[in-house]
Amino acid sequence: MSGQAIVTGAAGGLGRQIAARLGEAGHRLLLVDLDQAVAETACELQNTGASAGAVVADLTHDDGAAAVATAVREQGGSIAVLVNNAGITRDARVKNMEEADFAAVIAVNLVAAMRLTLALEPLFADGGAIVNMSSRASLGNFGQANYVTSKSGLVGFTRALALRWAPRIRVNAVAPSLVDTPMTQAMPPEVLEKLVARIPAGRIGTPEDVAELVSFLSSPEAGYVTGQVVLACGGRSLAA
Amino acid sequence: MAVPLIVSQPTAELDSVTEVLTAAFADVKAAVLVERPVVVLIHDGDLLGQGEVVAASVAAGLLGLVRALALEGAKAGWRVNAVSHRGDEDARSARDIAEWLAGSDLSGQLIRVGTAHLGKVWP
Repeated sequence: MSGQAIVTGAAGGLGRQIAARLGEAGHRLLLVDLDQAVAETACELQNTGASAGAVVADLTHDDGAAAVATAVREQGGSIAVLVNNAGITRDARVKNMEEADFAAVIAVNLVAAMRLTLALEPLFADGGAIVNMSSRASLGNFGQANYVTSKSGLVGFTRALALRWAPRIRVNAVAPSLVDTPMTQAMPPEVLEKLVARIPAGRIGTPEDVAELVSFLSSPEAGYVTGQVVLACGGRSLAA
Repeated sequence: MAVPLIVSQPTAELDSVTEVLTAAFADVKAAVLVERPVVVLIHDGDLLGQGEVVAASVAAGLLGLVRALALEGAKAGWRVNAVSHRGDEDARSARDIAEWLAGSDLSGQLIRVGTAHLGKVWP
């Protein structure tokens, strides 16, 4: 199925790669981000031959979701794919974690995805697919109580929406572990080395690894898969 | 032994999800920092997404919170667990198990009451 593919958090490294892969699959792209750099990302993808528009929107408010819906209507056609990728971190140990930082992460990573998805329901094509970007951390992680709660909440949202919107729309989640993005590149090398040592695959994940999985789950080839969480973590979720 | 904090899954609308999860975090944080055991009661159907989408998101979020705090507080001896159940017929068993869990040294556990979860995914 071609048609519009919406990717949130598309100005970031992972979102951009997901968008690029969906563009290669023949989708017309609508890139969404709070960061105005999303317009440049759209231009870059256009230069590769993709059809790409951009919306700068704050998805923590109804206005943001409404702006995306308006852009979908303006581009014409219905939504084939929605990837809820936008997310933030505000890491701290529990004793130092402020309620405001906990709330901010829940608002962006979980509630904004829910708000956008529910607002777009009438615009989905039959046979459409949603991929929510959860995280291996949803199973538990140190110093990320807010992030873990948000990404675990996204798993619940995925399951419930999959049941509620079946058989018209499939809903799945991808749960990556450490992925090579500017955020991880900014980590101290010795810290990164220790983290990679705990990944059975022996390497950090790439945005391409994740984008390929998102593309598959969005495609008709995954037509019998809904309500599932697929871990893309190099085996990290099993290792001691 | 400190009196355990037993947290029931709060109801929420979309616009209150952030508020209820943040309130749960604040309550659980306050408890663990004074070594008070915590058990969160969750509706098992919500963990599988069988109810409303908001309830499912809150339920799964709470389970994530339990796991995060149990992991972070493992060395400090924080005891944070979850019990899921299906409602009235299992509620008493769930409460009994919650009280037993609170008095144990276990942490990071999810105990599912009833049999309706059999054959389904583990959340």
